[in-house]
Amino acid sequence: MLIEQCAYSNRWRRVTPAAKGLFSLGALIAAFTATQPATAALVALLLVITAVFGAGVPAARFLRVALPPLGFLLLGCLTLAYSLDFAPANGGFTVRWLPAGWSPVLQLAARSCAALSALLFLALTTPLVDLIALLRRLKMPEVLLEIMVLCYRMLFVFSEALHDTRTAQAARLGYATPALTLRSLGSLTANLTLQIWQRAHDLNVAAQSRNNDGAFRFLEPAYANSRRDITLACLGVLALVLLAVTLR
Amino acid sequence: MTTDVLLEFADVAFRYPDGNAGLAGCSLTIARGSRNALIGANGAGKTTLFQHANGLLKPQQGVVRYAGQPVDYSRAGLRALRSEVGLVFQNPDQQLFSASVREDVSFGPLNLGLDMATVRERVEQALQAVSMAPFADRPVHNLSFGQKKRVCIAGVLAMQPRLLILDEPMAGLDHAMRAELLAVLDGLHAQGITLLLATHDIDFAYRWADRIHLIAGGRCTAAFDAAALPEHAEALAAARLPMPGLVELHRLLVARKLLPTDSQPRAMGELISQLNASEKDFQ
Repeated sequence: MLIEQCAYSNRWRRVTPAAKGLFSLGALIAAFTATQPATAALVALLLVITAVFGAGVPAARFLRVALPPLGFLLLGCLTLAYSLDFAPANGGFTVRWLPAGWSPVLQLAARSCAALSALLFLALTTPLVDLIALLRRLKMPEVLLEIMVLCYRMLFVFSEALHDTRTAQAARLGYATPALTLRSLGSLTANLTLQIWQRAHDLNVAAQSRNNDGAFRFLEPAYANSRRDITLACLGVLALVLLAVTLR
Repeated sequence: MTTDVLLEFADVAFRYPDGNAGLAGCSLTIARGSRNALIGANGAGKTTLFQHANGLLKPQQGVVRYAGQPVDYSRAGLRALRSEVGLVFQNPDQQLFSASVREDVSFGPLNLGLDMATVRERVEQALQAVSMAPFADRPVHNLSFGQKKRVCIAGVLAMQPRLLILDEPMAGLDHAMRAELLAVLDGLHAQGITLLLATHDIDFAYRWADRIHLIAGGRCTAAFDAAALPEHAEALAAARLPMPGLVELHRLLVARKLLPTDSQPRAMGELISQLNASEKDFQ
């Protein structure tokens, strides 16, 4: 929901998704080219600055959205930072801290941060609707796009249904004790399953009534200044990749 | 009333696979260019009837005729029918499934196989007709219930139907939104679109419709011109519907000789202005 809100309210909402996608892809490439941890960290910093000062994404929100993936990254770094040795020749079971020193850990962390910022930049400035339209123009298979569209829409329908049912249960003391909670969760699941079934059927009927014959087609939005924005994005990509290559 | 029949149901019966009777020998005619209200209790078969009109369900018995021709249930026939008969569902979440407003409205016209430029134009027109143009790029789930409802109508309008069917369009709308929706419907009627809507509200039907159809137990029990409603007390009672309060009040006022017998107000506002215009002394 946070990401969604941000994607719709940022300053670059009207910029063509092609430009934003291109910039994000270029930033990913830069993140992979940067071998030095410092360079990768610089790329990450530049991307965050672009998102915060360029697109007007609030810095606190950026951090808030980045926290869960950063947590995973920390976990990944920890597993790299020590190694378990089960070789019986060395006397069985040993744990070694930082077998290869800090550098691979730092490199992984910095690169991942850069790649993460590149993806977050795209996610926080471009609504999924626009991304889907972009993917359609890039000739992504229709089936995948339809699944994306339906999943996206259903996500909100079901979160609403889930919320409503939960509220209705809570209002009748459904979550008063742990035993009742378990019971209520059970009936919530059963109820949602049925609702999903019903909704899927209803949607199909509604699509048919508007003359649908299988394939979903939607209108593509038009963007002003798309050529200028794409050029700017290209320049940005070039600058980032050059930076990553020269400082490697 | 003109005799030009746009949609006709002749003795249509349909039973759902789970054994529930949807329609049981329902006959009904909708005249071209008229405003029709279909009134019936919950479970009377209104939605089933609408789904037959749009070719979503096929009658197990009887015939549905559109513009004089029995409905052709082949792929091409259904395509033709559904481009002429637009159906707006009661629950907007049932009908809206793409992420943004403009996309959803474009869904129907693109299914008709129109080119991009025409679709773009129709989408803008339809959104303007329901005053939702400023919301075109909003995601559907950020809209209020009333706004979703209007997007649903736009989605069907963009297909430029000749018969627009609305399943309980007023349900869940507040007073102001009802008035707005009514203005939209009046605009459509002025363009020559035939309207059929389901409602529970007999007062509204009396005020708005040209013709009223009563449905109960999957059967159309009565159909009459709305102006003739006061004479159909028995049909209303059989469908467990009250006589509109306005009619009762008007009768009383006529009996007390406060209003002439030839006046027939259809809305409270009309009654009030008639009373104001009358020279009788209320003392």
